[in-house]
Amino acid sequence: MSPMIVPLGHVFVLAGVIFSMGLLCLVAHRNLIMTLVGVEVMMNASLIVFVAASLRWRLMEGQAFMLFILAVAAAEVSVGLALVFSLYRRTGSIDPDTYDILKW
Amino acid sequence: MTSWLQDPSLAATLATWLPFISFLLILIFTREHRRLSGGIAVAAVAGSLAGALFLLIRHWGDAQPIQYSARWVVAGSLSIPFGYLLDAVSLTMLFLVAGISLLVQVYSLGYMAGDSGFSRYFAFQSLFAWAMMNLSISLATLQLYAFWELVGLSSYLLIGFWYERFSATQAGKKAFVMTRLGDVSFFIGLLLVLLHIGNSGIPEMNSPEAVARMDPGLLTLAALLIFGGIVGKSAQFPLMTWLPDAMEGPTPVSALLHSATMVAAGVFLFARLFPFLSRSADAMTVFLAIGTVSMLLASTMAIVSRDIKRVWAYSTISQLGLMIMGLAAGSLFAGGFHLTTHAAFKALLFLCSGVWVHRYGTNDVYEISGRGGRRLKIPMVCLVIAAAALSGLPPFSGFFSKEIILAALAGLKNPLWLAAGLIGAFLTSYYAFRLVFIILSPREEVREESGHHEGDAAYWVMGVPLLILAGVTLMLGFAVTPLREFLAGSTVHPGGNDGWLFYISTGLAALGVGVAWFEFGRRAAPRIGFVERIAPLRELFAQRWYLDHLYQWFVHIVIDRVLSRGCTRNEDRVINEAIDGFCRFTLDSGRVFAFLQSGKVRYNLMVMFGVLVLVALYFLFA
Repeated sequence: MSPMIVPLGHVFVLAGVIFSMGLLCLVAHRNLIMTLVGVEVMMNASLIVFVAASLRWRLMEGQAFMLFILAVAAAEVSVGLALVFSLYRRTGSIDPDTYDILKW
Repeated sequence: MTSWLQDPSLAATLATWLPFISFLLILIFTREHRRLSGGIAVAAVAGSLAGALFLLIRHWGDAQPIQYSARWVVAGSLSIPFGYLLDAVSLTMLFLVAGISLLVQVYSLGYMAGDSGFSRYFAFQSLFAWAMMNLSISLATLQLYAFWELVGLSSYLLIGFWYERFSATQAGKKAFVMTRLGDVSFFIGLLLVLLHIGNSGIPEMNSPEAVARMDPGLLTLAALLIFGGIVGKSAQFPLMTWLPDAMEGPTPVSALLHSATMVAAGVFLFARLFPFLSRSADAMTVFLAIGTVSMLLASTMAIVSRDIKRVWAYSTISQLGLMIMGLAAGSLFAGGFHLTTHAAFKALLFLCSGVWVHRYGTNDVYEISGRGGRRLKIPMVCLVIAAAALSGLPPFSGFFSKEIILAALAGLKNPLWLAAGLIGAFLTSYYAFRLVFIILSPREEVREESGHHEGDAAYWVMGVPLLILAGVTLMLGFAVTPLREFLAGSTVHPGGNDGWLFYISTGLAALGVGVAWFEFGRRAAPRIGFVERIAPLRELFAQRWYLDHLYQWFVHIVIDRVLSRGCTRNEDRVINEAIDGFCRFTLDSGRVFAFLQSGKVRYNLMVMFGVLVLVALYFLFA
């Protein structure tokens, strides 16, 4: 008897909804910080899937992996912020639409 | 094939190529040396004439025609030979062509003297002589067609000989295009026959077994198509208006090509393929109708014309129509004999007119008469002789040949044809003697500075051919019986109603002479013809029954405006537009897709995500 209180499918749906919200946040803002925020949210959605899988199959690896990803996410955000700051210093703008030198 | 060195007949046949050698020699080597060019051309034709005479004498009574042939095209079941067929019809035609070519070329030595294009003229005359002679003795219909086209080419070159004159070049083009139209139908007919009979040789085409292989409808169609070529070449209705315009060329050219030989090629073809063509009775009726219409139409046009050469041109059309009537009435000899006599007296008419045209520089008969044309005795006498032959007055040659044709027409069921023939006879003698009397009795005589000296070489160069032709015109009529035996193989005279026909036709001819004398010849004559008084009729005839207007209208409206413009519009708006539209589409779609390359990261990310979702769905459901 798994300790899940909702069916696995529901958790996946929740994760999918959060993932799409993160995606929406990523693409729909003209602000690089919001891009980072979106990336974080998407990563959190995948974390939910990991935990749900661990609960379903009663394996601790899922939750352990979640902790690892969380740590990586923190590091990644710091690097990302550094990049954003460097871009700002270069071009004076954090609107990704202005970085279009690869445009035809 | 025996070598030409051993077989004298073959050698004589190959003598027809002498003028071709002369053509090449003159064009390549002797353009500056006029007398040499003239000499080469005349010598070549004289050689051909000797060959033709030799062949004629040697094979006079042969039962079987002689053939020399080589394989030209062999493709599966088709076989097209190239060679020479020497039977009665071809030998007669060969002799006629060679003889008249020689006489006209000798005459041209005097006529074209002093012209800057003298050598070029003789080169083209040689080209024509070669092509026409080979046409006469061709073995295969396709070979005949090749020489037929060559004859048309030399006609174009000679009509437009004085090319600085715009009217001459126009006339040359008109002649070429009109005859070409006929030739298209001729070729299609030939192809029809070739496909069904499988062999293009003339004897095979004429033989009954070959004809049995084609069903009657197809036979009639082929006959009508081949006749289309005859209509074009012999200037019959409706392709007849090129011949009067062809008078832009020098008069000897008109004498040779457009009266005696080239236009006779059509009638000759008819005689050649007579067994083949006569098998279709419907086609023969059509031929009869076309010949009659041409004959009457052209006679009416000749009545009102002031230009001496045009009158004889219309007369040629009319007489060719008469020949075709004779042939289509079923008598090979009638058409063939008239072809021979007509060649002689029509060439004579043209050459006599040429003397006056050359002397006075004008074609207008009233002016010639006013400047004292009748004082040149040889042309005047020869003109009268030739006009009498044309009118069919005894005892000249034209009388005999016309009688035979009228007898053939009388043998037909419908008396309409004979009536048309008799009307034509009256009109012919009327217009011929109208000209004669206009020249014979001028109103005011202008004193010329000095007459032609009798001892001039130039005088006799032009005079001797006239005399020879006049002699032939006088004598040829009496050679009816031997010629009939030669050409038709029998001495039986078709139709037994000689008596009343003789009186009626001769009476009509004499009536024509009388009316012409009454209106033009008498001292107190009004000098206006009975037709010329009726202005609408005169206009109708002078405008050639508005045939030229019809053709102009057809070319301008139907071809230029409708067809040409329609095709141009189609090309501009449909074809070009389609291609341009396709190019525009390519450019525009490029622009659309270029929009995707916005360089913006967010859009790339969205697309990537969308594709991944689709892939996931694919793996989920497949």
